[in-house]
Amino acid sequence: MQIFWITLSAATAIAIPALATAWAQSRIGPAAAASLAEKPELSTTVIVMLAIPETMSILGFVVAMFIMFRAGG
Amino acid sequence: MILRMSRARVLGPRAALPRTLEVLQDLGFLHLSAPASAPALAPGSLSPRELRLERQLRRMLDDVETALAQLGGKEPAPGPSPPPAPPWTAWARSARRTRHEADRLRERTQALNEERALLAKYQEVMTAFGGLFQRGVAPGVRAYLVVLRSGQGANLEKLRALLDVALRKDYELRSHPLAGGELVLLLLVPVGTAAHVERLLAESAVEQVPLPRGYEGQSLTDAVPRMVQRLHAIPGELAELDALRARMSERAAGLALARAVIQDRLARLDGLRLAASSAHAFVLEGWIPTTNLPDLVGRLAERVGPEVAVEEVAAEQWTAEAPVVLQNPRLFRPFQLLVGMLPLPRYGTIDPTPFVAIFFPLFFGLMVGDVGYGLLLFGTGLVLRWRSIPASRLRAVSEIAIGCALFTVIFGVLFGEFFGDLGRRWFGMRPLVLDREEPRDIVSFLGLCVALGLVHVVLGLALGVASAFRGHRRQAVGRGLSAVMILLIAAALLAVLKVLPHALLTPLVVALLVLFPLLVVAEGLVAPVELLSTVGNILSYARIMALGTASVMLAVVANRLAGAAGSLVVGIVFGLLFHLVNFLLALFSPTIHGLRLHYVEFFGRFYSPGGVQYRPFRHWRTT
Repeated sequence: MQIFWITLSAATAIAIPALATAWAQSRIGPAAAASLAEKPELSTTVIVMLAIPETMSILGFVVAMFIMFRAGG
Repeated sequence: MILRMSRARVLGPRAALPRTLEVLQDLGFLHLSAPASAPALAPGSLSPRELRLERQLRRMLDDVETALAQLGGKEPAPGPSPPPAPPWTAWARSARRTRHEADRLRERTQALNEERALLAKYQEVMTAFGGLFQRGVAPGVRAYLVVLRSGQGANLEKLRALLDVALRKDYELRSHPLAGGELVLLLLVPVGTAAHVERLLAESAVEQVPLPRGYEGQSLTDAVPRMVQRLHAIPGELAELDALRARMSERAAGLALARAVIQDRLARLDGLRLAASSAHAFVLEGWIPTTNLPDLVGRLAERVGPEVAVEEVAAEQWTAEAPVVLQNPRLFRPFQLLVGMLPLPRYGTIDPTPFVAIFFPLFFGLMVGDVGYGLLLFGTGLVLRWRSIPASRLRAVSEIAIGCALFTVIFGVLFGEFFGDLGRRWFGMRPLVLDREEPRDIVSFLGLCVALGLVHVVLGLALGVASAFRGHRRQAVGRGLSAVMILLIAAALLAVLKVLPHALLTPLVVALLVLFPLLVVAEGLVAPVELLSTVGNILSYARIMALGTASVMLAVVANRLAGAAGSLVVGIVFGLLFHLVNFLLALFSPTIHGLRLHYVEFFGRFYSPGGVQYRPFRHWRTT
């Protein structure tokens, strides 16, 4: 039973930030595409903007790994 | 580094101004800038004659550029050297004539393409019933083309029943399905019944196919053969126009030369506007790389004469910010491309190119860390380098790729990875430093990445101190205190984790408490927030570990799936495909995140954008 809760915790730790990242990028994407159509020189800013929400997923991944490792998974 | 600039002031008799501008344009060193205003100096302006010349040149340039754009093809290089006395009238006439001819050619080509596209829509119908029209429809017979939309096939029988009653079967109806699902009908009826048939068609709510523009008044029997004939004739006419355009393109080199000479002349007229003058003398000012200043002095004296003098304006008298030229050693130069994706740094601040050249490939290598992917990237970089021209963006990209590939191979050896765990299974490779598949080592890898983040961010803060030291002492002190406090926090955390002696914890905390109010005094109330944000930025380097682990796991999964395929060939193909996908991901994600770590975490500490691009006054060249 314990392994179930550990796995569920790790999955939740990555799933929720991943959903949050997806939501953030779904908002940034159209705005970025519209901005690039008007001003192609903003491409660097757009890349950085798109990469910023990914921090949530990455930290979620790190937390998930720690949960697995601490539990000996 | 940012090249050191000098502000040069060129003075001379007013009559020597045009010649001075010509020589400055030949030299191509000086970034012209309006001189500081002085009571005896009038700002530069053009005489009515020069204004008229400028208008004429701009009109001519418009003709030349439009003509060159219409002719299309590769941008022609201007001729070897402009003639001493440019044949303005001949160039103007040639440019105007070529522009008009090219306009007509373009319009004619467009019209023919539109006609062909229109006729092509009828082609399916013409192919279906073309034989009938070519044999000729008997005199006294009227033909109608009718379309039944997709799903209206049942109307065909209704129409046939109506026609049977109305024409007593004295008609012919043929049908042909179109690719889009519609059904096209060809109805042949005696001319005498035409009015009755048209009424019937209208009542049946079926749609007659209208004839294209230019054929409207004709009967179908006359129009279709002509449309077929026209469709066959159009490619020939287009080929004739292409040949005509190719002949006209022979004028392109002459037009390109004219454009270069016109642009140069216009630039000199703009130069006159930037020259202040008194009744007898002129003053020109501009920026020049300090190393080029003696050359400018000598060449002006040699080519214009000793009456023109050059002096260096002292830095305290500078009225505008100097333009920026980035100049780095050959090894670092390709990375200027990555810095150039942001606005230029301001003059007097720090050019981050050398740091990017070291840390970007390092981060990339840490993330990918695989000998196999590194060799693939190295090969890609070599091919790109071979296919690119020197000093182009592609050349810079290829050299960045080669640098990243080298670090990827080095870390691949240290991690013992060759296409994931394939190296271990095939060649007995062993991790020398870290095994990224082992949970314990992954935690060590995370520690390494965060430590690297600490070094990178503290380096950024140190650069911020150096950058702000000259102008904003208080800001420099604030950044310095931030850097010290970040180091103290890191040391305190290490003491808590007993990596450092636990006895150090109390003095470290006391030092932090002492420094905190000083930081607030130096940077204001936002300082605590800034400090927390800096700690967050350091933790953000955990992404190096996360992406690296994801990369190696994907490679291992590719190998396992390939092994589980059951067939050698299927396994190899599957493994290759999976590794290819992983390689493409390994190119994309580490690049984006490597850039982000630089632009947000590192540059945010010291980078001061807003520099002016150095644009020397020189001969025009195509970009």
